[in-house]
Amino acid sequence: MSQQILSDSNMRGEEKQNARTRATAWKIPLMVGLMLSFVLWAHFASGVRVFHSESTSESGWEKFRADYGIAYFGEDGQFVRAVQNGYNLVNYTHKYASRFTRKTAADRVNSCASCHTPEDLAYGFVNSDRVDPKLGKRISFEDRVRWCYANGMEGFVPTIYDPAVRDIRLLARAVAHHLQLTEGALRSKN
Amino acid sequence: MSTTAGKLLKIVLLLLVLAGIYALATQKHKQRENARQATVALTPGCAEKLRRYGLVRSERYRSPYVLQRTGTAVPVRGYSDEDIRAIQRGCNIIDDTQGKLARDPALERWNTTRFIRGSHTSCDHCHQSLGDKQDGHGNPLKGSLSLGAAWVMADMYDRFTGMLLPFELRQMQCFINSSNGYKPNIADDVLRDVTAYSRFLSAAMALKIGNHYDEQGIDEIPASATSKQGDDYVRGELLYKEKCQVCHGRQAFGLEANGQLVAPALAGPNAWNTQSRNYFYYVSTILPGFICRNMPLGAENTLSNQECRDIAYYISNLPRPAGDRQGPIIALEHQALMTFMPPLMRLMESNRKGGVAADPAPERDK
Repeated sequence: MSQQILSDSNMRGEEKQNARTRATAWKIPLMVGLMLSFVLWAHFASGVRVFHSESTSESGWEKFRADYGIAYFGEDGQFVRAVQNGYNLVNYTHKYASRFTRKTAADRVNSCASCHTPEDLAYGFVNSDRVDPKLGKRISFEDRVRWCYANGMEGFVPTIYDPAVRDIRLLARAVAHHLQLTEGALRSKN
Repeated sequence: MSTTAGKLLKIVLLLLVLAGIYALATQKHKQRENARQATVALTPGCAEKLRRYGLVRSERYRSPYVLQRTGTAVPVRGYSDEDIRAIQRGCNIIDDTQGKLARDPALERWNTTRFIRGSHTSCDHCHQSLGDKQDGHGNPLKGSLSLGAAWVMADMYDRFTGMLLPFELRQMQCFINSSNGYKPNIADDVLRDVTAYSRFLSAAMALKIGNHYDEQGIDEIPASATSKQGDDYVRGELLYKEKCQVCHGRQAFGLEANGQLVAPALAGPNAWNTQSRNYFYYVSTILPGFICRNMPLGAENTLSNQECRDIAYYISNLPRPAGDRQGPIIALEHQALMTFMPPLMRLMESNRKGGVAADPAPERDK
């Protein structure tokens, strides 16, 4: 009798265990599926830029790329992507550096390109890191960019490491290469 | 009542401490500003270099070097007194990083020693001729780690770190690994002055932004550029004894005479650490490239690729500090090696020679 009870109880335990296994069996694929879906959504459908390893191709980029010989640095790769991000930052500042600007698409002056051409940036780059007599201190290219965010864009100051600063420097460097500028090169007045 | 008084007292004390910190920071800031404004006493090497490149205050700068070599020099933006002082300080840091020639190292070199663990390191040990090594005809030498050429190629993808490496971050790596030390802040005067000097060099040589020049970086020597005998410790040791020992010492711990550094350490506590790109087991192509193109001084480019790799392999097997990221256990192991290996080696050598040391050269840091 007691053996029968024991056997029944074992069977019930096994059934419970099986039921539990069946219940959890579909949970694992579900979780994996959910995670996979999230990754795919984040990369392909979310539109959130932080998930993208490539910069968004804004209008005018291909022309800029051809005009300034960006292909010298390769068709793709970190440097070219950074230059592309620099292009986006300079031309669509309100969209790509929204954290650092109060300007919106509705403003007449809403991007770096509203005031500066790529050549301006390149010449600014090769003439940077000099002492500004007005301020009485040495000003780097990055300092100027940060100053523009704070004043020209009526916004906020990024850190010196921020891609919003770095990629503009890289854009200036790429353009300076295309123009074959040397350190301290002066712009022709013609 | 007493509780309220206690709380007030605490607040007052806190405010006093904060005010003290603020006053101290202000005073330090003022000291730095005074140092920036002070006249720079140039090292003899820098005085010669900057005179040769015509660094004077003017609205426009025309490089005498370029003028001499091409007959024409395009004027570029000139330098103010403040710019010149920054360039001079940068040059001094390259030439005499630890301020051994300075009257007041803390004042004249921004106390760069605080970023370095050993006592030998100076930037110009690798970036020779003050980062601007040339042959007798004034031609820059291939693979000579030119600072001017490095500046124009900064910000490019760096395969070792996997990032776009700015000039300042590369300098930080030099301090951390090649100098086995600590990294300065990106806005520190040390880095900014070295950058100013490097940028001036690129102006003096009329180097174009983003162009690659032969003198930039190292002319790396992979195994495929050798006779494929394999890198050999024994051959390396023999070559080291023949070609390098006279300057760098028997155990490569460097040589000092009368308190002056004759040749820097290639191993031991004053050498680069195992995270440096000079370390053969980290990157096997860089140290051989440096040796082939820059060593022995005055007889550069005389060693074969295989010889350079053998010497580099031998040197890298000598004890040296561990890198910061390798953790305390590895650091301890390397420290033990640096402590116990040299006396053991000396003992072995003296036994081999019948108890008589053959090399009377005074070696430091035993």
